[in-house]
Amino acid sequence: MSLAVEAKSLVKQFGNIRALDGLTFNIKEGEIYGLIGPNGAGKTTTLRIVCTLLLPTSGSIRIFDLDPVTQANEVRKIISYLPEEAGAYRNLSGWEYLEFMAKFNTTNASEFKQIINEAAQISGLSDRLKDKAKTYSKGMKRRLLVARALMTKPKLAVLDEPASGLDVLHGYHVREIIKSYVKEHGVTVLLSSHNMLEVEYLCDRVALLNKGKIVVEGNPNELKQRYKGENLEEVFAKVVGYA
Amino acid sequence: MLKGFGTILFKELKELIRDPKILLGMIIVPLVMFPVLGLVLGYAVETAQEQAQKATLLVVNNDGGNWSQELIGNLSLAMNVAVINNTTPQQVVDQGLLEQYNSTQFIEIPLGFSQNMTQRTNGNLNITATVNVYGVFQGGGIFSDIGSAGVTNLVTSFNRVIAPNVLYTTQSSIIKGEIQQGIDPSTLSGLMLSQSIALPITVMIMLTYAMQIAATSVAMEKEEKTLETLLTVPVDRFAILMGKLSSTIIVAGIAALTVMIGYNYMLGSITFGMPSTASVDLVKLGLVPSPLGYLLLGTSLFITLLSGLALAVIMSAFAEDVRGATALVGYVYPLIFIPSMALMYLDINTLPLALKAVLFAIPYSQPIIASKAVIMGDYATVIFGIIYVAAFTVVIMYIASRLFATEKILTAKLRFRRRGSKKTAEQAE
Repeated sequence: MSLAVEAKSLVKQFGNIRALDGLTFNIKEGEIYGLIGPNGAGKTTTLRIVCTLLLPTSGSIRIFDLDPVTQANEVRKIISYLPEEAGAYRNLSGWEYLEFMAKFNTTNASEFKQIINEAAQISGLSDRLKDKAKTYSKGMKRRLLVARALMTKPKLAVLDEPASGLDVLHGYHVREIIKSYVKEHGVTVLLSSHNMLEVEYLCDRVALLNKGKIVVEGNPNELKQRYKGENLEEVFAKVVGYA
Repeated sequence: MLKGFGTILFKELKELIRDPKILLGMIIVPLVMFPVLGLVLGYAVETAQEQAQKATLLVVNNDGGNWSQELIGNLSLAMNVAVINNTTPQQVVDQGLLEQYNSTQFIEIPLGFSQNMTQRTNGNLNITATVNVYGVFQGGGIFSDIGSAGVTNLVTSFNRVIAPNVLYTTQSSIIKGEIQQGIDPSTLSGLMLSQSIALPITVMIMLTYAMQIAATSVAMEKEEKTLETLLTVPVDRFAILMGKLSSTIIVAGIAALTVMIGYNYMLGSITFGMPSTASVDLVKLGLVPSPLGYLLLGTSLFITLLSGLALAVIMSAFAEDVRGATALVGYVYPLIFIPSMALMYLDINTLPLALKAVLFAIPYSQPIIASKAVIMGDYATVIFGIIYVAAFTVVIMYIASRLFATEKILTAKLRFRRRGSKKTAEQAE
């Protein structure tokens, strides 16, 4: 199986702060790969480098054999990014927002229509899509943004806290959508989450990040067995020496 | 007392005062701007007075009688006088004698002046002694008729020596090298006043308004957390920048048009019913811009607007939210207000070289300079200004596009804290 993401010795320096300190990981095509770790561990920085928003200070990274530093525009055609604190344009309706974003991905009218319909279905917002985004609740906004991130069936979806702000049922709905997308459309997912239940349920493999480094990596069940933890939370606490 | 009012007021004040960008933008900038403006105007007026004192008054003596010698002698007491004999006013203009004597006006003592003076002073009130004053019209402005007032004062002082109301003056204007008989330069200045005020004010409003929109359009994306997503879609970053700038230009253009219509209507309402000076036809005198003039003026406005907007976008990249962006853009306002207000009162051509250079170097002066220059047919100045602002805009646009192309658009922050302050954990994550 070919590699979707191949990161080698990534370092990212912000002034005196070393956000990433020699990060190395691979993600296989069609895999859901999770990054977990405490605040400031470097999760979002990693996702931003993958998505061409930040440049690594040193090290190398390939996305489906493309270099996000020198081939950023090519990479942007095959990825989709859902930031943790993303928003939608307040004065556009949900429908207009989806149309606006879809126009960057296709010029074909029928494909465009298909993308929008797909997004409408994922969001589950039905008639509320006609309302302006400023009238949406936090959960509704998140569902719109998840739909936007998945509607183009990207080769790599980069999701930062995908179910953040969603209630139990909508969180469940979003997780099901992510799983089915991987299965049906071969989408590779790189996600970051503080929700260990979500990570355990979704991810084929997880990497535990601490101070800009991967401290342990593996299948969630395998990690639980290896560290004799009830759940990933316990595993993480044991790995970083907290428990 | 309203319960909780004091607590909220105290917290709001604390937040505002502790934001150095707001403090600088709202308090320090006006405190600096108006004294600077005062200095510029004061310096300009002082220099103009000095120049007026040193200036030579050209007198064309077509009379040659005793009274003409008397008048010249009297004028010589007040300023340097150069006398030319037996020359028509048109010859003075055609032969470039005004430029030669570095003067913008001359007095013609017509043939028969001494005879008329003699008869008048002997009590024949049906006879009038007149000298003709010719002034070069330079484009208008609030203080633009100060020069002709000087000559009128000299004639009044001559009258005081002889007897009241013996000598009269006629006023004529020299417009683009042509003598327009009987048209007083100060009347022209009055008529041109609306133009010399309306355009600087419009440029001021338009630029500040457009820069606010441009700055908030990027800052809003940051505040609403939409920028990150937008930067990861497959679209050229330059297209994002241009899209933002163009939409702002359209909105600003509509705003400018609305301002112009409203302002002209206001001026029309003020002047309606005033004693008519309609015998002066500005179109006939060539004192309205030609189609080429309008085109050049429009180009100058557009280029200046573009450079202002690009600068606003760059500045907003350093702000974290809309309030910060608005405050940051406020630092540029003195560069818009000072030339606009200064050029409302002053003619750039009469300013000392250093001041002229400073005003010309500020890109936001250009449309105002252009507005006067196109009326006077001085297209070279306008074209040079356009080239200058275009070059400035290219540099600004290049910086803006570089900023958009790199991670700086997300990570750049203007800090007023002491050096070496730590970045937040949020940024590191």
